[in-house]
Amino acid sequence: MPVEYAIETSDLRKIYRSRWRRREVRAVDGISLRVARGTAFGLLGPNGAGKTTFVKLLLSAVIPSGGTARVFGRDVHEPEARRPVGYLPENHRFPTYFTGAGMLDFYAALSGMPEPERKRRIPELLDLVGLDRWGAVRIGKYSKGMLQRLGLAQAIIHSPNLLILDEPSDGVDPMGRRHIREILSTLEEKGVTIFINSHLLAEVELFCSEVAIVHKGRVALSGKVKDLTAGKGYKLTAAQVPEALETELRGKAAAVAARDDVVDFQFVTREQANEAIDLLRGGGCAIEALTPTSSTLEDVFVRTIGNGGPAAETAATEVKA
Amino acid sequence: MNPTAAIALVRDTFREAIARKIFWGLFGLSTLIIVFFLFVMKIDIVAGATASISLFGLRNNHTVDAQRLVRGVFGGVATFLYSWANIIAVFASAGLTPSVLEPGRIELLLSKPVARWHLLLGRYAGNLLVVLCNTVYLVVGIWLILGWKTGIWSPAFLLAIPTTTFIFAVLLAVVVLVGVLFDSTALSIMVTVGLTIISLILAAKDTMMKLLSSEWSRWLWLGLYYVLPKVYDLGRITLNAIMDHTFSGWMPIWSSALFAAVMLGAALYVFSRRSF
Repeated sequence: MPVEYAIETSDLRKIYRSRWRRREVRAVDGISLRVARGTAFGLLGPNGAGKTTFVKLLLSAVIPSGGTARVFGRDVHEPEARRPVGYLPENHRFPTYFTGAGMLDFYAALSGMPEPERKRRIPELLDLVGLDRWGAVRIGKYSKGMLQRLGLAQAIIHSPNLLILDEPSDGVDPMGRRHIREILSTLEEKGVTIFINSHLLAEVELFCSEVAIVHKGRVALSGKVKDLTAGKGYKLTAAQVPEALETELRGKAAAVAARDDVVDFQFVTREQANEAIDLLRGGGCAIEALTPTSSTLEDVFVRTIGNGGPAAETAATEVKA
Repeated sequence: MNPTAAIALVRDTFREAIARKIFWGLFGLSTLIIVFFLFVMKIDIVAGATASISLFGLRNNHTVDAQRLVRGVFGGVATFLYSWANIIAVFASAGLTPSVLEPGRIELLLSKPVARWHLLLGRYAGNLLVVLCNTVYLVVGIWLILGWKTGIWSPAFLLAIPTTTFIFAVLLAVVVLVGVLFDSTALSIMVTVGLTIISLILAAKDTMMKLLSSEWSRWLWLGLYYVLPKVYDLGRITLNAIMDHTFSGWMPIWSSALFAAVMLGAALYVFSRRSF
């Protein structure tokens, strides 16, 4: 029976401890995440949030301080768990003595691909990423964008079922980005699970169906992109809202945020907003503002990180509700 | 262990050694020594029993026993190999371990379905093979030239291949451990050369036992001598085998092998527990 999840982590932690100063940094602080097989998943977060450490934990490049991580049901400590995984690291440093073809051959061999298969796949992959004329050239002469495309070819040469990409379009021009997106879309159609760690929110929104926002080593928010960006509608700001009425409207609003003496309610439809206005007016509340809104993943991101991260886990539930 | 991956790791080390000019540097040095024996050093055999030797055209008029002379040359070459050539090889290849630990490179290697110990041993084996190839080239080259020039074939000289490679393997284990612990090529060289020098000093144990006054200092000296690799004794074993066809005992071999195994085991343990 096939495993339901491509990635499954439970209370995964990585704590870096300074030996002498007795200080500790919680790079990953109890992340529990499930990525269903065949999903295009985006991992978002500000710099230093713990995204790359999380990815390295999935690949067993970082030894966890606690918790578990599984890839297609296998513990990531087992080398075999990494056989169906293709990985493109951020800030990769491919040895410059390789030619493009030589580099693909080396990493494919490490993945256990026999030589005849490698010989067949290498020209195919070089062609796919638009480097067919560069296969015999040393990669020291490649531009950053070319290296990124070669890195992608390296990640997919052994036909992985899970592709983990750390900032895949870093240094790639707009045409190259589109090309990479097309390749990834084709792979997604074939059922490959794609896990993207990126700070390019628009790109993630365009490509991924599910995301998780990581902040201070924890998942601050996660869910389907269409649910999280359902903030398109009307923002109603009211003052002096009694607690009972606020609780009642929480059940109807897509999101609620309290600040100072006012409460922001997010409604999806005009009818919902009007109904809420009637209720608030009837309850003696003051309407401060009513503004039409449109929410992007960036809005969600800013809201989540702005809310202070882990505390925003409730906000996540609210948005999804 | 996946043979495809193992071969790829060894080949990668070779490729890097070639790209960093390590392989060709050692090869060039070996060639220079071979050329020296081919053109500069001239040995004339008279009636097969005596010989005279000339260097850069300067002739030594004293005739010596040809067998003794050739063995002496072989012994000198072997001494050079297990001392200076090994140190040069350590200098040359010390960077090959820290280079794979560079951020952006190691993560990708670790993401492959290859066990960590396999990655490190593949590197170690590749490094060893680079030095073995050069040692074989140099020793066999000199052996053939001297055999051809003198008509005296001394197979014992070929023992310099395993002994030189063995000493290098022991020192390389230290290089790998320091490289894995500190990611530093310079420190790897310093520690390994330092260890070699200490080992050479410790080899004077018989003299020191007479000179040291306190019991504990004698115990400390002997303890260090038995724990650390025996570079001097291993060289002596090679020299005796070549010169006199005698063998002075296994202790330096097994104790040095044990030291290398502990060093390599420690390197593998540290590497398997390290986060990158």
